[in-house]
Amino acid sequence: MTSLLERFIPEARDYLEQAASCLLKLERDPSADSLINDLFRSVHTLKGASGLFDIPSFTRLVHAAEDVLVAVREQQIPMTSALVDLLLDSLDQVSAWVDALDGSGGLPPEADGLSAGLSQRLRVLLPQSEESAVPAEVTTYAPQEWLAEFAAGEIGMARAVAQEADMPLLALDYMPDEGCFYRGEDPVGLVLQLTGLQALRIRLRGGQPDIAGFDPFRAGIVIRALVVQPRQEVEHLFRYVADQMSLGVVSAEGGQSAPASGAAGPGAGATAALYPMALRILGEQIRIAGMGGDDEGLIRRIVSVEATAARLLTALGWSVREGEMAEVAAAACAGNAAGLIALLTSLERRLEAALAPAMAETSLAASAVSQIVPPDVAETAGPEGRPLSKILKVDQAKVDSLMNLIAELVVSKNSLPFLARRAEEVYGSRDMGREIKDQYAVIDRLAQEMQRAIMDVRMLPVSEVFERFPRLVRDISRKLGKTIDLKISGEDTAADKTIIESLSDPLIHLVRNAMDHGIETPEQRRTAGKSETATLHLRAWQEGDQVMIEVADDGRGINADIIRAKAVERDLLTAERAAGLGDQEAINLIFLPGFSTASKVSDLSGRGVGMDVVRTAIEKVNGQVMLTSEVGRGTSVRLSLPLSMAVTRVMMVEVGRGLYGLPMDGVVETVKIPASGIRRIKQAEAFVLRDAIVPLVRMHQLLEEPKAPDAEEEAVLVARVGGSLVGLVVDRFREGIDVILKPMDGILAGIRGYSGSALLGDGRVLLVLNLKELL
Amino acid sequence: MPVTFGKTIVRCRDVCTVEEALPLLEFLRTGRNVRVDLAGCTYLHTALVQVLLAVRPRITGRPADPALARWLMPLLTESAVHAV
Repeated sequence: MTSLLERFIPEARDYLEQAASCLLKLERDPSADSLINDLFRSVHTLKGASGLFDIPSFTRLVHAAEDVLVAVREQQIPMTSALVDLLLDSLDQVSAWVDALDGSGGLPPEADGLSAGLSQRLRVLLPQSEESAVPAEVTTYAPQEWLAEFAAGEIGMARAVAQEADMPLLALDYMPDEGCFYRGEDPVGLVLQLTGLQALRIRLRGGQPDIAGFDPFRAGIVIRALVVQPRQEVEHLFRYVADQMSLGVVSAEGGQSAPASGAAGPGAGATAALYPMALRILGEQIRIAGMGGDDEGLIRRIVSVEATAARLLTALGWSVREGEMAEVAAAACAGNAAGLIALLTSLERRLEAALAPAMAETSLAASAVSQIVPPDVAETAGPEGRPLSKILKVDQAKVDSLMNLIAELVVSKNSLPFLARRAEEVYGSRDMGREIKDQYAVIDRLAQEMQRAIMDVRMLPVSEVFERFPRLVRDISRKLGKTIDLKISGEDTAADKTIIESLSDPLIHLVRNAMDHGIETPEQRRTAGKSETATLHLRAWQEGDQVMIEVADDGRGINADIIRAKAVERDLLTAERAAGLGDQEAINLIFLPGFSTASKVSDLSGRGVGMDVVRTAIEKVNGQVMLTSEVGRGTSVRLSLPLSMAVTRVMMVEVGRGLYGLPMDGVVETVKIPASGIRRIKQAEAFVLRDAIVPLVRMHQLLEEPKAPDAEEEAVLVARVGGSLVGLVVDRFREGIDVILKPMDGILAGIRGYSGSALLGDGRVLLVLNLKELL
Repeated sequence: MPVTFGKTIVRCRDVCTVEEALPLLEFLRTGRNVRVDLAGCTYLHTALVQVLLAVRPRITGRPADPALARWLMPLLTESAVHAV
């Protein structure tokens, strides 16, 4: 895949996403002018960009959609629900083709047929006008006249072959456009590629020309052929010039059925978004043109450069002096590429000039182009009035590698305190130790800031996850026959990329659940005295260092009694226990694995793969799920997730032979308790801290480390676990450090009590404890 | 160069691309009694076909490419001229 295609694919996905979003909003508010303009712009830009690749079916379909949108904008046709459906289907098809391009670099074989079909369905909606893609000269012809060009013998032979092959005999009428050579087209070459060619006639239009004034570069021929080949193949071969040819079937009696002409080809007219790509292409062409040499490769290169430049001009809607391209190309073939390079360079300058103001409204696609932009390019307002700052599209892998480097930096800097200690203890240089500590403080601060900055880069808005829901809700609500109004708020709330990604599946499930189980049918709602249209509210906001997501519906709510009954029925707990549960606790039974209250499993939410999966997924990223509900009023599921996977500050302690870390946010204080201060209460120990009795836990017992010899004083780390204080007896306190906490992996993942491990500056591994699980 | 010019003969060999059309036309324009030899030609751009159809010089030689030989030669060597 060329790098150009690599860049086109994510851009195409963006345009499609924008278009779909506009379309859905437009369905609700058909009169919004700004929406139709944004929609048009996305489709138009997509059309232009696609014209640079060998994907005419793609471009043709997008073009048809664009023409329909123009008609809607001009208020010639209304934006009905059916039209929205058709446009969405078309966008889906184009999206599938983008995936195909991503996977294999090309369109699937049925693309031509599908494109023709959908384009036809779109174009049929257009108001009938004189607009047509037929070239100026006549294409209606009487069958007899047409066939009379061929000798009877030829026709007879062709018919026989067709019969033998059990295929209709096709009649091809191809009138290449005058300027087609400049577009790199070779009509005769194209026709000779027809494997099923039976008869061929090539004529000059308008009879024998005057040789003196004849322009060999202006195509002036008509080609007619009889072909026995599958129609799809012929259409595919002529996909670029579908508007210059027509294909009919020669009927048995020698007549001809109505020709089916191809749809209009990609139109000219570029938008600013094309310029960066065009610039890249031009640069490449200039380089190739300058490669020189005098071999056969030179001619092929020059021909290719010329063809590419011609296509570029067409895509941009620009032109050069007639014949100029051919002249300089011919000279280049003869060995002098100066003219060609000069021409291409002048185009380049035109592009650069056009780019400067255009840059303000498009995103920068490549750093190669960035130096052209004047440094104080204005910030223009985006569609919703948000100022669009300069945006860099960066490969995710680069950001990830930056993150890893910073993580290593954070770890390496931790070796400095160790060094400082060694300087003092081993080498007896206290001054050295102090200097190292000072430097460490500076480096520590810088590393932390860098870490924060890179974490910031990874922050994504939740809209990344939310934006698929309007479409999802629309499709599913129609399928279920329910009217659901989706409200989204707080989509700008941001969190770390990993967190955002982990939200996607759980949210889909929650939304589907709400639509399927939570929300009643319109009749049920009417009987209940509610409005027929249900509301589904998707909200996001920030609370402290957590990001909160809420999925709330105004449906039938969850009946605690029903849940109790089902839980007992599924043997999840005994009837007595169930009766003893409060309503909120009963509702939370939903989170138990194997639970599903829908008596009929709909194909949407599945069976029992329910809330427990959601909870597991959320807890995996250190989040929480909370569910509240009111019978008859609705249900609300609230997710709380950490804003970022940041660095954890831990307190190191020595216990027995090992070094352990305790997350600093749980640590209240460190104290030294005299042995006499420890009280025994039955089996447990405790001590008095100010006015409270704090239970004591001997860490060496918990962690199965050897016990240190009894001392007069015990080092106790007071921590808050699950709301109450607990004292942890350790051997020694060590310093607090920042670590990148890596969750336990592989076979260790199942061991309770550890939130993860971290790498220390001296290469040792620190096990960080999860007190909630340990105690 | 694929298209070479002698005194009374133009030879089109191998790949004859669109740029050859102008030199070919100019040579044929001179009015001299020349012939065009297509022996060994593997590719002939439409522009050149067009020139040959317009000038209708004497064509000799058989193109190396089978499709050219089979389909184009008859059209270029036809004696009658049909208008559209």
